[in-house]
Amino acid sequence: MSLLDIADLTIGIPRGRATPLVIVENASLRLQPGEMLGLIGESGSGKTMLCRSLIGTLRRRGAAILSGRITLAGTDLAHTDEHAWRDIRGRRVGYVPQSALAGPNPVMTIAAQLREAILQGTPGTDVPARARELLDLVQIRRPERVLDQYPHQLSGGMRQRVMIACAIAGTPELLVADEPTTGLDVTVQAGIMQLLRDIRARLGTAIILVSHDLALVDDVCDRILVMHAGACVESVPANAAPRHPYTIALNRSRIELAEPGAPLLTIAGQPPSVGDWPPGCRFAARCSIAQPDCGLGPHPPLRGEAHANACLHPERAA
Amino acid sequence: MATDDQQAARGAFLRRSLGRLARATGVALWVMVIAFGLIRIAPGDPVIALLGAEAPPAAIEKMRRDLRLDVDPATQFVEYTWGMLHGRLGTSIETRRDVADIIAESLPVTLGIIAVTLVLALAMAVPLALLIATRRSPIVPYVFRATTSVMLAIPTFFTALIGLILFGLHWRIAPIIGYEPGFPGNLRFLWLPALVICTHLVPVLSRVLHASLVQTRGEEFVETGIIRGVSRLRFAWFYLLKPSLAPSIVLLSYMVGVMIGSTVIIETIFSLPGIGRSLVGAVINRDYPLVQGIVLVFGLFVVAVSLAGDLLANWLDPRVGAA
Amino acid sequence: MNEGRIGIAGGTVMLALLLLAGAAVPLLSEFQPNELVAIPFQPPSRDYWFGTDQLGRDVFTRVFAAVYRDLGVAFLGVTIPLVLGTAIGILLSLATSRIVTALTGSLIDAINALPLLVLAIALIALFGPGLKSIVIVLAMTNWARYARIARTRASVVARMAYIEAARLQGYPWHRILLRHFVPNVSAETLAYALSDFILVIMLISGLSFLSLGAAPPTAEWGVMMSEGRPFVLNAWWMTIFPGIALCWAGIGLSFIAEGMSRRERGAGE
Repeated sequence: MSLLDIADLTIGIPRGRATPLVIVENASLRLQPGEMLGLIGESGSGKTMLCRSLIGTLRRRGAAILSGRITLAGTDLAHTDEHAWRDIRGRRVGYVPQSALAGPNPVMTIAAQLREAILQGTPGTDVPARARELLDLVQIRRPERVLDQYPHQLSGGMRQRVMIACAIAGTPELLVADEPTTGLDVTVQAGIMQLLRDIRARLGTAIILVSHDLALVDDVCDRILVMHAGACVESVPANAAPRHPYTIALNRSRIELAEPGAPLLTIAGQPPSVGDWPPGCRFAARCSIAQPDCGLGPHPPLRGEAHANACLHPERAA
Repeated sequence: MATDDQQAARGAFLRRSLGRLARATGVALWVMVIAFGLIRIAPGDPVIALLGAEAPPAAIEKMRRDLRLDVDPATQFVEYTWGMLHGRLGTSIETRRDVADIIAESLPVTLGIIAVTLVLALAMAVPLALLIATRRSPIVPYVFRATTSVMLAIPTFFTALIGLILFGLHWRIAPIIGYEPGFPGNLRFLWLPALVICTHLVPVLSRVLHASLVQTRGEEFVETGIIRGVSRLRFAWFYLLKPSLAPSIVLLSYMVGVMIGSTVIIETIFSLPGIGRSLVGAVINRDYPLVQGIVLVFGLFVVAVSLAGDLLANWLDPRVGAA
Repeated sequence: MNEGRIGIAGGTVMLALLLLAGAAVPLLSEFQPNELVAIPFQPPSRDYWFGTDQLGRDVFTRVFAAVYRDLGVAFLGVTIPLVLGTAIGILLSLATSRIVTALTGSLIDAINALPLLVLAIALIALFGPGLKSIVIVLAMTNWARYARIARTRASVVARMAYIEAARLQGYPWHRILLRHFVPNVSAETLAYALSDFILVIMLISGLSFLSLGAAPPTAEWGVMMSEGRPFVLNAWWMTIFPGIALCWAGIGLSFIAEGMSRRERGAGE
């Protein structure tokens, strides 16, 4: 049985009597226990909203689940009230915020933030001992130096390690990391990625790692789910070759694959913005192999099991 | 490595505080110079202006000696500074009393007004800003901005008169004259004047606080607070208010200066025996030593409060000054 | 954006109406501001719209006769410090000596630290009460606020690339100053002047209210309110109408200032 099962999930912003503004449409994904999934998409593709639906903070941004199911090991997350969320957040789902700069609370010491996370995750534990254990897990040496500091006194990488320590305080089954390396140096980024892998290996936590950078998650994840303009377009195992034209284009625009001297490939045009989606495949306008039927009907759904693809003409994609 | 970081951070904080202290000292020195210079830049001879041109030369000579205007300015300044360090601010021309005594008598009244005003203003502005920042309605901030800009455009002495008519004369729930020193008896006389100053302080304060709350509300770390399921109260303090307070604290310490200005008029209208009313009286009587002493005390008070405000903001929000 | 425009339009209309009435009423009214026209303390009536004061003067005529006096003095009280402070601020930003910068900086801070009303009252002790003294006092004190803004802005401008380019092209310094520094800096000091205008109007009427500004029998809002104060329970109109005129001017200006700053913020976003 899968750990997380999202089926036909549609998220949007209700607008009174007008039709809601849809941000994520018919998203589907399954996650096995201990699996590490990379969630890739440009900004505005709906990946952050998808994450927020897993920690129940959609309402704060004025958004809501319009239809579909989210099931976490038998628990329905789509129809959970604020009270029930308290038992889920931090205990069953951990969350690492977007940026190391703005993620930690600037007016609380690291010790105070860890304490909050520990008390939420595993109430009734010995807080100082657990804090040390967690800092050790995220490979911070000499934790006692870090504990009474404020976030701004730490480097970006350190801060994000602390945030990860907070997120795993309740040993959740699922860890959601929303672009956890934004604004960090490349070497530091690699360190954080490695840390997430280690945590998965040691604690068996399933991880959803959100990024706009395919190259970054490709190496560490078991599977990549690609989103474009609010829809899932491809779910590809890490070692398989991509088949959707968008994923292929993303893969080709990776810097390290570019041949020396050859022009760096970029994807033409901008993704259609929310509320402005054309009928049919939303990538059609930017796609080099688009056919007339691509612009018809609803957005094509993901088809296939291990390697699912939403392209109507996968045979034409090279 | 971490130790170095920590020591560096602590050192930086100390350096910032010392730098701030040095700047405040510089400003305080200038305040002294300005207060000292007040009599000396008067057009014409202040003594003749005081006594009239027909005064007997002996009287003019005596007053010149009393005001120490007969020695050269440098000596005067040294004497003035020396006296100030020993709590001597000169003698009032009008009452022949020690200026420091007069100020010590009337200062508590003014400080009382300011303290009551601060408490009232915080009690009103903080909930107001929180309420408006947590509503999602688009019309509420609009009404808030319009109302506050109207309130800020109404002079406090007009509000004071209206308040006096309504609360003092019409409903008779506020005394219109008199004062009783000592807490809590003085509160009966101070609540209305404080409320009047609040009509300016609350709009300014709640606006700044509202703006910082809206900014904080959108920040990423608020999400982590929700994840950690902290209690409502803890969330409101650690994830909303505390990260937003620094600009308001700095503003508040600045506003203390503005409030002192208001107390001058308010004390006159409400007949409170504060330092502001003494100032108006001293000016009307051309009691230069008293004017000089009051300006000095007010100036130093404002400098001290603004220093305290900066340090408090730094303590509440460690990001302040670290950037 | 839209909100900004509504504020500016509303405020402008309010001010224009007041200025229009200030010009028209003294011309059209059958009374002179200081003329004793009726028995004292007449409540508002068809003949005396705002009633009469303790001497039997027409409050309506006096309120509008004061418009140009109050706003005019305030205008001087804003523009003189504005020009002085902007110039001083720009000049100080050019100073290279650290001692000069530190000394002038703390002098400016010291003047700004003293509450404006307290400093103004203290200086009036020297110059004697009167509207002229208020303008002198404002020129002596309020420039420091503008100088602080101007200096901060000017030192930002000085670091901008095009200033460097102009200097390298060998433009004379006065041209760089006039073409680049003055427009850039004055945009910011002017924005402050707008909100300062409200404070200065209140200061002028406040000082007059304390008998430190205009002297009776001058038709001035603060003076009129102070004259009405002893009779406020029985002859409220003496105090309320000048007060409303004062608030009207302040609210109009405040809407304009608020609208401008909202428009600027809207343009910045």
